[in-house]
Amino acid sequence: MRNAWRTLITLLRVARYRRMALGIGAAYLVLFLVALRDITLGGSGVQFAAVEWPRMFEPTSTFTFEAVARLTLPGITVLIAPLNILIGGVLSLLAALNLMVTYVAYNQPSACSFNRSTGILASLPALLAGGACCAPAIVLILGLQVSSLFITTFQVLIPVAAVLLLITLKLILDRTHPERLSLADA
Amino acid sequence: MLSSRAVFISAAGLLASLGLYLLTTQASPPAPDPALPLAKTPYVLHHNLSAYTDFMMSGGPPPDGIPAINDPQFVDADGADLDDGDMIIGFVHGGEARAYPQNILVHNEIVNDAVGGLNVAVTYCPLTATAQGFKRGDTTLGVSGQLLNSNLVMFDRATESYFSQIAATGLTGDHAGASLDEVDLIWTTWGQWRAQYPNTQVLSEDTGHMRNYSNDPYGRYNPTGGYYSAREVIFPLMEESDRHHPKEMVVGARTAEESVHFVLDDLKNEHVLRAEGFVAVYDARFHTGVIYHSSDPPRITPTDDGRYEVDGEMYAPDDLPLRQLMSVDAFFFAWNAFYPNSATA
Repeated sequence: MRNAWRTLITLLRVARYRRMALGIGAAYLVLFLVALRDITLGGSGVQFAAVEWPRMFEPTSTFTFEAVARLTLPGITVLIAPLNILIGGVLSLLAALNLMVTYVAYNQPSACSFNRSTGILASLPALLAGGACCAPAIVLILGLQVSSLFITTFQVLIPVAAVLLLITLKLILDRTHPERLSLADA
Repeated sequence: MLSSRAVFISAAGLLASLGLYLLTTQASPPAPDPALPLAKTPYVLHHNLSAYTDFMMSGGPPPDGIPAINDPQFVDADGADLDDGDMIIGFVHGGEARAYPQNILVHNEIVNDAVGGLNVAVTYCPLTATAQGFKRGDTTLGVSGQLLNSNLVMFDRATESYFSQIAATGLTGDHAGASLDEVDLIWTTWGQWRAQYPNTQVLSEDTGHMRNYSNDPYGRYNPTGGYYSAREVIFPLMEESDRHHPKEMVVGARTAEESVHFVLDDLKNEHVLRAEGFVAVYDARFHTGVIYHSSDPPRITPTDDGRYEVDGEMYAPDDLPLRQLMSVDAFFFAWNAFYPNSATA
């Protein structure tokens, strides 16, 4: 555990890795909110509306919650649901760290006690985490017929993805040796 | 510095807290007096109640996850941001005309309103294209998050009884097997509605809920596209038929003993269609149909002005001297899933 933490801190001290994690995390969070339909196309003018804050705790589905404010811009509308942003933020952080470490493992195999393909496989949970919020959109786009099992599975996908991301992050970090990393900043 | 153990425990704790919150979140407790008006005789069902409850499934959201509009605000016709071809749900009672835009109802599905002194729940299911109104007495209806044949299942907040929208009948709780007292809604375009009711009020987008009402998650109606015209149906059905395109619009009706449906475009072409025990006429004002129950209907002749001649007298489509039934516009797949043995022309 201590090695994992030390490796992570070592990597995050490198500006280009920090920028990479930040970029991936931000992109992931935006995609997460698009998939939840908190960011959608459509809207005219510039308007802001809000309702009482305690409604942020009202669930709209499993692990998704009510928006308490709406920002309308020309062509785009952003719903502000604090708990969705919090959950998306946690997933984005984990996914960003996973992908950053996977990138390092791929580019510096000598610093890692596993091969390149294993590193790429380790990034699968990050993709699963993406699927956790995209499922309804995929169903609509592909015209799939969903079953009760699908709905049940979908409802636990977000926590499952978070746990898998935590596990893979730790596994990769444990097998990465900070003393062997080449940390020259770009 | 934080240890990695602390980070892991914090993340796990956050997820566990959210899970616990969801498990403990429930609908408000039932009030003592439901006062929900019910029909004197329930509508015919083509399956046992238990078959319906067994087939009912979660659509994803919990009860009230799709929030009904309980304090609707209205604007006048000039203040409505609608195109003539946009779909609305119309209702008239006690001299008041109301239009409920589809682009709002697709996000909220139920409006608990009072129109002309009558407490009604205006309900809309986007997946089945069904708009149905129910007298609600002193209670309000909510969206349960359950689906039956891809169709809205509502709940009465007073008793927590679940009701199928299309069957208009209780599935669980105190009102299981009882039918709701329906009122006639009209599924039509804004242009057609406004031409008939220029003084109509229109549901405002100021619903008290934060949604993007300019974005339909399923598709579009002006022109029709996406889910609303695709062959695919998202959720399982008890009965399926390839007799028509699944999203073909039909107008259906039911009595205590039987059900009937007519393809809306056929009705538009023929103006009058008959099925055993039923007759339907086309209402060009709203591009909809009106169904009457009659074992031996008289000769009904359409006229150029959109009215019908019966025994030498002229009548509006919704005013023929016959027993009028509650007509429901719906996608064919949905009507067929509930009423597979429905009579037709």
